[in-house]
Amino acid sequence: MSTAGPLLQVEKLSKHYSVGSRGLFRRSGGTIRAVDDVSFHLRVGETLGLVGESGCGKTTTARSILHLVQPTGGTVRFEGEDILPVFAAGARPDVLRIRSRLQYVFQDPTLALNPRWTIGETLREPLRIHWPGRRDQWEARIAELLGLVGLEPQHAWRYPHEFSGGQRQRVGIARALAVEPRLLILDEPVSSLDISVRAQILNLLVSLQQRLGLGYLYISHDLASVRFVSSHVAVMYLGKLVEMAEVDAIFARPRHHYTRALLSAIPVPDPDSTQPRIALQGEVPSALRRPAGCPFHPRCPAARTVCREVEPRLEEDEFGHRLACHNPA
Amino acid sequence: MGTLRYILRRLFFCACLVVGVSLILFALINAIGNPIEILLAERPGMTDEIVAEISRYYGLDGSVTDRYLTWAGAMLQGDFGTSIIYNQPVGGMLVTFGLETLKIQVPGILIALLASVGASVLAATRQYSRVDFGVISAAMLGHSLPGFFVGILLILVFAYWLGILPSYGAYSTRSMLMDSEIIDGLWHMVLPVSMLAFFNTATLTLLLRASLVDTLRQDYITAARAAGLPERRVVLGHALRNAFIPVLTYLGILFGLMLGTAPVTETVFTWPGLGALYIMAIQQLDYPLIMGTTMVITVMLVAATLLTDIAYVLIDPRIRLG
Repeated sequence: MSTAGPLLQVEKLSKHYSVGSRGLFRRSGGTIRAVDDVSFHLRVGETLGLVGESGCGKTTTARSILHLVQPTGGTVRFEGEDILPVFAAGARPDVLRIRSRLQYVFQDPTLALNPRWTIGETLREPLRIHWPGRRDQWEARIAELLGLVGLEPQHAWRYPHEFSGGQRQRVGIARALAVEPRLLILDEPVSSLDISVRAQILNLLVSLQQRLGLGYLYISHDLASVRFVSSHVAVMYLGKLVEMAEVDAIFARPRHHYTRALLSAIPVPDPDSTQPRIALQGEVPSALRRPAGCPFHPRCPAARTVCREVEPRLEEDEFGHRLACHNPA
Repeated sequence: MGTLRYILRRLFFCACLVVGVSLILFALINAIGNPIEILLAERPGMTDEIVAEISRYYGLDGSVTDRYLTWAGAMLQGDFGTSIIYNQPVGGMLVTFGLETLKIQVPGILIALLASVGASVLAATRQYSRVDFGVISAAMLGHSLPGFFVGILLILVFAYWLGILPSYGAYSTRSMLMDSEIIDGLWHMVLPVSMLAFFNTATLTLLLRASLVDTLRQDYITAARAAGLPERRVVLGHALRNAFIPVLTYLGILFGLMLGTAPVTETVFTWPGLGALYIMAIQQLDYPLIMGTTMVITVMLVAATLLTDIAYVLIDPRIRLG
């Protein structure tokens, strides 16, 4: 499998929103760079954990890849094919071919399932769209999917409100798997679930990946879960990637000061732990008024003059991290 | 609890409601006065014997309780009594006039339903665009203008200035248009139906657009898009059906209240419907006619509410009756 190129290759992906009122009397606003010049790639069987605080652009990145929001710039190659122009052109057979192989799992399954459809109807929909000629296989496939995610075939007749949160997320995963995708984009799939249920869903995701040979783009702000499922980690801050490396490298030797602060915030299950916390100063700046130079410099404990003036570029360091920092730790 | 048991229980309460309304109404009419007094005011100089004779003839000589029981007993056997002014059976009048009312009210609601679905989809899929603001503004205006004002405007423009549509009545009194009863009837329906459709469209559009905008933001709509469903089917198939629930409530009320709004429309267009009949009956204190008309209005409103609740279950599987 590794002989082929990457499953997903994202190059210089950007999504800018122009905001502000076109009011009668005044004209205010600017541009929010929700996703700015983001590049990464992902191979079959790998999981890239995309982490960062709320509002840093993780979800927008994911939805731009799927063209659910229209990116401002950049390219996305999926299995070598430049897919954004295909979505933009909108030719049905081409769009369907890509959509069936690139699926999305939502953060809150309660919102992502049509409350007035049974689970069976929900699972039948992707089949109706993508396998219109295989009507006789639909029901068998639905039963198979339910089994795959640890539910019973008779659950197909129930409605979403009859399930627990964890079961609903299993349905969400089953729906994404329905038409045999190669890549799942998991948008905080466990953050709306109880701690006890999280582990079950994460185990399910890991075992599905091994059985089906899927690639995952795993979006989360929960670093403990990222460490569990990911093979690589990319850290985002204010719409930009600041550090990217293999999961062990990131956790063993975080080099960007933002990554270090994030990692130090992971709770340690030991009340006597003396691990120091790096408390960041200040708030995340408004995306409308992004600081000049390194966007992290106002909160960075190691900021120097150059950080205020020159924006660091994402470059490979001597430990194999890709890093955007003038003064790494 | 089974759906059937629920419906039976609801039906029982509905019956109690109808009886209650009839009791209160009967008492109120009697508190105002009786039709003989109005007759006396119009034709003074009748002797007491004649008055007593007329009272006996119309059954107005008994006590209120007796008269209510007589009326209710006959009513249960399907006899609505005899109108005092028209000297005709009330039941037959209700059917004749009621059909005229349905003739303009039902098309008024159905046209509004189609138009508001179109306008809402147009607006909600282009939220905050010029089209959206245009639709909202027009709907606001239509919702705020009093119905009779719109009716008078329609008459002014189409009947008076342009002279292409009749301004009153349901049929031509002299010669029928193109010698056809159907075309003549339809021709007379245009203005009253337009007035009703205009108002109903505005209100339904405001409701449906807001509901649709809200539904289109839901994650399960994004999920349908991510699955590759064409946008047209996302909107018409998924979103519209879910957005329709609040509108359904209003639609039920609209059907029930049909006769509540009928007096205005039918006065403006001199339409021979139940609304106009109702007004006339009240002016004359023609109590069998008032009672009959009110019973029809009450039963329709109660039935519409019940049907709405049942329709909910069909549209929304999460709702359990009980």
